[in-house]
Amino acid sequence: MPPLKRLVVLASLLAAPLAGAGAQSSGVVYGTVRDSTTGRPVPQAQIILVGTNLETLADTSGRYRLAGVPAGQVRVLARHIGYRASLRTLDVAAGESANLDLSLRPSPLDVEPVIVTAAKRSQLLDQAVTSVALVSDSDIARRAVSTVDEAVNKAPGVLFLNGQVNIRGSSGFVEGLGSRVLLLVDGVPANEGDRGGIDWDIVPLEQVDRVEVVKGAGSSLYGSAALGGVVNLITHDIPIGFHGRVRATAGGYANPPEQLWSFRDYTGGLGGLDVTGSYGTEALRGSVTLGGRHSDGYREQDKSDQWETAGKAEWHPAPDTRVTASGSWTSHQYEVGPPWCERGHCDDHGLAFQPFLIDTANHGAFTRSDKGYVAATLERTPSARFSWHARGSWLRTHFTDLHPGPDDFGVANRFGAELRGEVHAPGGGVVTVGAEGSYSDVTSNIFTGDTTATSDTIRSHDQSEFAAYGEGEHQAGPVRLTAGARMDFIALDGGSVSSVLSPRIGAVLPTRAGTWRASLGGGFRAPSLAELFVSTIAFGYRVIPNPDLQRETAWSFELGNSTALGSRVHLDAALFWTEARRLIEPVFTLQAGNPVIQFQNVARARLRGLDMSLVAIPFPWNLTTSLSYTFLDARDVATDSVLAFRPKHLATLSADYGWHSLSVGADFRVVSRIEQIELAGPYAGDPRVATKVVDLRAGWERGPVSARLLVNNVLNYIYSLTPGTLEPVRTVSVTFAWKY
Amino acid sequence: MPSRMWRLALATAATAACNEGLQPTPTCPSGFVGICGLVTFQVPLPDSLRDSTDAVFIVAYKNFPTAPESLFNFLPLPPPTVPTNNSTYPYSLQLPNGRYQWVLAVWKKKGTLTTQSADSLLREVGFYKDDGDTTTHGSGIVTVNGTARDSIDFVIDFGNMHRICTYFPPCPP
Repeated sequence: MPPLKRLVVLASLLAAPLAGAGAQSSGVVYGTVRDSTTGRPVPQAQIILVGTNLETLADTSGRYRLAGVPAGQVRVLARHIGYRASLRTLDVAAGESANLDLSLRPSPLDVEPVIVTAAKRSQLLDQAVTSVALVSDSDIARRAVSTVDEAVNKAPGVLFLNGQVNIRGSSGFVEGLGSRVLLLVDGVPANEGDRGGIDWDIVPLEQVDRVEVVKGAGSSLYGSAALGGVVNLITHDIPIGFHGRVRATAGGYANPPEQLWSFRDYTGGLGGLDVTGSYGTEALRGSVTLGGRHSDGYREQDKSDQWETAGKAEWHPAPDTRVTASGSWTSHQYEVGPPWCERGHCDDHGLAFQPFLIDTANHGAFTRSDKGYVAATLERTPSARFSWHARGSWLRTHFTDLHPGPDDFGVANRFGAELRGEVHAPGGGVVTVGAEGSYSDVTSNIFTGDTTATSDTIRSHDQSEFAAYGEGEHQAGPVRLTAGARMDFIALDGGSVSSVLSPRIGAVLPTRAGTWRASLGGGFRAPSLAELFVSTIAFGYRVIPNPDLQRETAWSFELGNSTALGSRVHLDAALFWTEARRLIEPVFTLQAGNPVIQFQNVARARLRGLDMSLVAIPFPWNLTTSLSYTFLDARDVATDSVLAFRPKHLATLSADYGWHSLSVGADFRVVSRIEQIELAGPYAGDPRVATKVVDLRAGWERGPVSARLLVNNVLNYIYSLTPGTLEPVRTVSVTFAWKY
Repeated sequence: MPSRMWRLALATAATAACNEGLQPTPTCPSGFVGICGLVTFQVPLPDSLRDSTDAVFIVAYKNFPTAPESLFNFLPLPPPTVPTNNSTYPYSLQLPNGRYQWVLAVWKKKGTLTTQSADSLLREVGFYKDDGDTTTHGSGIVTVNGTARDSIDFVIDFGNMHRICTYFPPCPP
């Protein structure tokens, strides 16, 4: 069947749950949400009209207003983190308003948060067909992290390898190129247009309200790069009135634990300041964040300076319409340190390697990386049954690598647009359909596609993508069934168009033994412009382009269960299995008898395992404990060997205790030794060890003021995850925050 | 969840975290499979070669190359480099198990390496010799068998550099 015809058939299948949907007269529901024990209002409580796409947030006084409510009997759900959700039923007359005050009972376990990423629409976490890990704003504040990647790195099943994110071992490590995880900022794709990697500093952490990590293939809704999962950074809603936040951090790095590794005669420091101001009315709201940070680094040649700004504006011209504009710009200048010095390439003191020193040949290497985005979104909810959403975005990255020899640079753009509609049928069915397009280009002297390595050649390349997608959800008895697909059309440098279909089916079944979920989905990743056209020198070898690279593909299956064991323990566990083909990896090869490096479709991989998280509040006092664990069996099926950069075990044990305005907590993270690496030649005898890191934290909070002490890697455990790259040593920091 | 289990888990975590991470490593790392040794520079790299030098590599051949086409059948790929600012240098070659007929140091001139340019860009500057060796070129045979073969020491002599064509005569003018 031709691709277009398949799309038409799919669309007709998706439309099936809509039978019977039609316009109705409407009314208004309003009221106040309060804490049932204290009577205080609950700001930012989420109010949802069940079975529709109508929802709103309570204001700072706990008040809410839902317009366009269909006349008749309706169900209203109120929820907030730290409270048990409340569901109420009431009758609404056409053209009338109905008051409904809601009270929420505090609950130690927040088991039903609302997510927006797994299905490209709001849904309860336990209604998602795939696993989703959440990092809430309270998690971010409690851990006192300063950057987005530090926050994401704490999510269960997530591991960063020298800045490259892995979800269940999805990406491995390829020097930041070709991420198999898609980054979204408020739903806007934000992977780099040239390298396909992720700039985690594109948004200040101060802007981020929460993070959703969707695990498994997400291409049926998000297309390329969502092969191994999706990370969505959701920025703060702007409250009504004047508000401000100031956050200041200062700290220092421990010195090397061995005198033989000593590399400087002072203690390295770090510091940062972020200031956010916002003002909002019912109709107009805006916020601006300015920030900067400096780090001396914990290794030789590791200093960095970063300046960042971000803004967001909202306009509510009508109760059913919202226009949002947002953007950010970050300028990051950092010295380039790794890989560390191997014997003989520095003042090595006779050691095989010096983890805190770098090769003297790399002295002076420096990178300037500027990046930013602007996005505009129009959301309309013409009726309780139908809403639509349109957005446009522009992402720009510009890097310059200054090092001994000719400098490298790349300027890349990624323009995107999307139109999406969401329809709720009276019987509980939901259909989401949309179309998305993007255009990426790069101008560079290393992504040229040139067959001769010369920094004097500057060329441009581009890639266009257009996609249509749809997903329908149908309630069949107790089971929620989901089916959908996305068709992507991709053209490189204006050439011929290739297409790829990414389907997904799933089901959610609530039972007495918890909520079961199962899904099977196809995913793909188109090679990045960098992988296709790179032409440079690495490790003293020519890296040659490969314009014939094919897209990677994968099928992912997952069976999961989420269950509450009593009122104080919550368990979520999932078995996963991914079969991947044509993975793109850098390999050494011979070209005309000469050794060169080239990206090639090589591996046929199988990644399977268990992913679980357990949250428990074992005592009647304020102690919260959690354990997350991922077992990964990742094999290169073609060579019957362990897949590179995929540790078998990843576990994090956490405990937090709160007493009045004080809190203390600890994390213990274990990553088993990475068994296999790529391009092993330059790293002969790479001394890898397992990761065993303990982080401690303490906090004090009173009203709008808080102070937090964070000691990362308190035992000063010296380790690396990628060859020749020392992971952070013990780092002590103090963060003061003030909110108005 | 019983509180005893959690206490046990925390105690286990604290105990496990006390294990040591990376340590200063003076010689071949433990568990290393391949060849280790010391190269000694007979004379320092001449100033006349300093600007044109790309790198000095150490490589191993399972079979002594018999034609220019087999020149690139060396291991490991890519090979490690040897700094030229030391008088001695402890090197290591990560190699699969096998019998290696030639372990040598190669000086490479700046430029893109091809089969055609090999003779102008590469020079043999020293190789491992075994006193009991009886092969034609006098190279020592080293067998790797799942462990590190240490003390494969030899001399690098920039005053006695050999063209590739020395091994595949005749040499062009």
